[in-house]
Amino acid sequence: MTSSMNEVIEKIRRQFKDVSITETDEREVKIDALQENVLGILSILKNEGFSHLSLLTCVDWIENKEFELVYILFSWKDGGKIIVSTRIDRENPKFVTVKHMWPVARFYEREIHEFFGVEFEGNDDMKPLILELWDDIPPLRKDFDPLEYSRKKFPDREYKKDVLQEARIFRGETNG
Amino acid sequence: MGEVKFFFGPNHPGMNGNFSVHLYVEGDTVVKARPIPGFLHRGFEKLMERRLWFQNMALIPRICVPEPDINEICYSMAIEKIAKIDVPERAQWIRMIVLELARMANHFMSFPGIGGPLGLYTGPNWGVADRDRILDIFEALTGARVYHMYIIPGGVRKDMTPKIEDLIQKTIDYIESRLPDYENLIFKNRIVHTRLKGKIILTREQALEMGVTGVGLRATGVPYDIRKVDPYLFYDKVDFEVPTATEGDAFSRVYLKFLEIPQSIKIIRQALEKMPAGKVNVRISEGSALRYRVPKGYAYVHVESSRGEYGYFMVSDGGEKPYRVAVRGASYPQGLYGIEKYMPGTRIEDVPVWLATMDVCAPEIDR
Amino acid sequence: MKQRSVWEWIADQLRSRSMWMLHYCTGCGAIELPPSMTARFDMERFGINPMATPRQADIFLITGYLSTKTLRRVIYTYEQMPDPKYVIGFGSCTINGGIYYDSYATINRLDLYIPVDLYIAGCMPRPEAIFEAFTTLMEMIRKGEANGWKRYKENYEWYKKNQLRSLGEVYVHDEFHE
Repeated sequence: MTSSMNEVIEKIRRQFKDVSITETDEREVKIDALQENVLGILSILKNEGFSHLSLLTCVDWIENKEFELVYILFSWKDGGKIIVSTRIDRENPKFVTVKHMWPVARFYEREIHEFFGVEFEGNDDMKPLILELWDDIPPLRKDFDPLEYSRKKFPDREYKKDVLQEARIFRGETNG
Repeated sequence: MGEVKFFFGPNHPGMNGNFSVHLYVEGDTVVKARPIPGFLHRGFEKLMERRLWFQNMALIPRICVPEPDINEICYSMAIEKIAKIDVPERAQWIRMIVLELARMANHFMSFPGIGGPLGLYTGPNWGVADRDRILDIFEALTGARVYHMYIIPGGVRKDMTPKIEDLIQKTIDYIESRLPDYENLIFKNRIVHTRLKGKIILTREQALEMGVTGVGLRATGVPYDIRKVDPYLFYDKVDFEVPTATEGDAFSRVYLKFLEIPQSIKIIRQALEKMPAGKVNVRISEGSALRYRVPKGYAYVHVESSRGEYGYFMVSDGGEKPYRVAVRGASYPQGLYGIEKYMPGTRIEDVPVWLATMDVCAPEIDR
Repeated sequence: MKQRSVWEWIADQLRSRSMWMLHYCTGCGAIELPPSMTARFDMERFGINPMATPRQADIFLITGYLSTKTLRRVIYTYEQMPDPKYVIGFGSCTINGGIYYDSYATINRLDLYIPVDLYIAGCMPRPEAIFEAFTTLMEMIRKGEANGWKRYKENYEWYKKNQLRSLGEVYVHDEFHE
């Protein structure tokens, strides 16, 4: 890890218990934290130079019945990337918003609400952003099958199978 | 005066791509603006989870239509990061050449393309015709003009022959000889100065708060470029500069794109000299490529595209198909938050100029 | 379909030599339209020009896939164009869904919703393929075979039934139209 990342990680380790830190690369670190500590960790990181929020997204772990929210921060000073992630319950997904720290997060959270169904307290702008007149479960969950939905709503083109013509192509008498 | 609402809708010649903005206007000045994305939504993140690791190579260039190579390099670099694969040296140099050519091709559509909203139609005619010569190089190297599918995990698909290297040298010499013509046509033009200088100003605090990256941030005076701050491939072994400006208005953003083209030409020339001979790809799967499995892990990879920071976040659980891939489009902050907060205050005739100089590209917002 | 009269035959000969294309880039195939319009592969020598409004255009070029949100606007636009009008389906996504056959947001067959006269295969088609399609369309108009607009009027209920099945509702409900 770069030197400034080392200092920041030490600070976080001293202040919060129950964080687990993995190092993927020399400039990328992943921090797994509990739900209560996430805002504290994010404000420490923002003040120490990791002030650019690259992405806010969600991963669906259906066997463990959990969603995992992922915050990716980047520092322009030395090029380090820190991934902060936390797990929330899948049956009743709720979390707090970070739009007071990064205003763009409002749109990331609106998209996560539309595609996964997660509620964010403090962010009341939850109209659909990308889909229009959607009538099924949130699409990016793992129990949604897009092929069956597509067959039900958008009929396919039927092709008739001509067995004699295919046999002629196979024998080399005509070109396909 | 009352408020009139009208839509700058998807069917408009001043709009690049399929994107819509609802405007509330008093007189000639915009009072409120709402972006409506979603016209180009295909559900890529769900489709990528249903195809094998190698089948995704055909799907991902179609996420960002004007510059498809950044998708391929991010996907390949993410797999190489999780699975700890070493790529041969010649392949990294060829990847750099392909990325810089794609950056030049995109810049040739965007800075002469500012002539569309302004009425200077010679600009797009020249720009798109010169861009076609770069697409000829891509056709000789990869087989297709627009969607290449050339950069794969482990290297590149095929080697670059000396005939193609000659073609690249000739094309970039020709492009370099055309740059003074573009400067005289567009940047020394009094009408372009009146319409672009001093308008649509973005200060450094606003840009950093929004999360704007790329030319929009470099026009405010800070040299933040991912190729220098967080280098990938061999960008720390070549010598190039990052142009910056201080005014932060629309003219300097367009002018910075023009100034990045000689730097790309410099990088390509150095890469062609320093490239060693050798293999161009390494076999990463022990059996059939269709049964390849990536070990468990998380990775985030980003590159500097011609519009800003473009990144892929990849999660793998050891299976045959990706578990989750999330795409960070480069124009996500400007296209959504920027339009709501910073477009009010401009005049109606500046709305297409706003969208063109702030690089709002619709397919990477919708995916 | 009844036979054309002499005046319609003459009108078709003249119409085919000066068609105007609606400038609406609906999908990813639109990246090959600027090269066909500008100096390298010049489209204006065939008499074809891009046009801004649907009320004054003849050809509607559907470049690529269509998501449901775009399909509602495309149906509005198609019904606004005056007769005679021609639709060209561009790319393999209009033929059978293409590479997005299992997506929850894109349609699979275009000619269930609006009538199509001609398809161009490829992903994506080169500018030379676009020109071959335009010259074939001009031949079809001269021979009287490009009759998509007549089919739409005669089979209107069938098209409407398909549109409502896939889209739910064709009328757009967003905060602008309320």
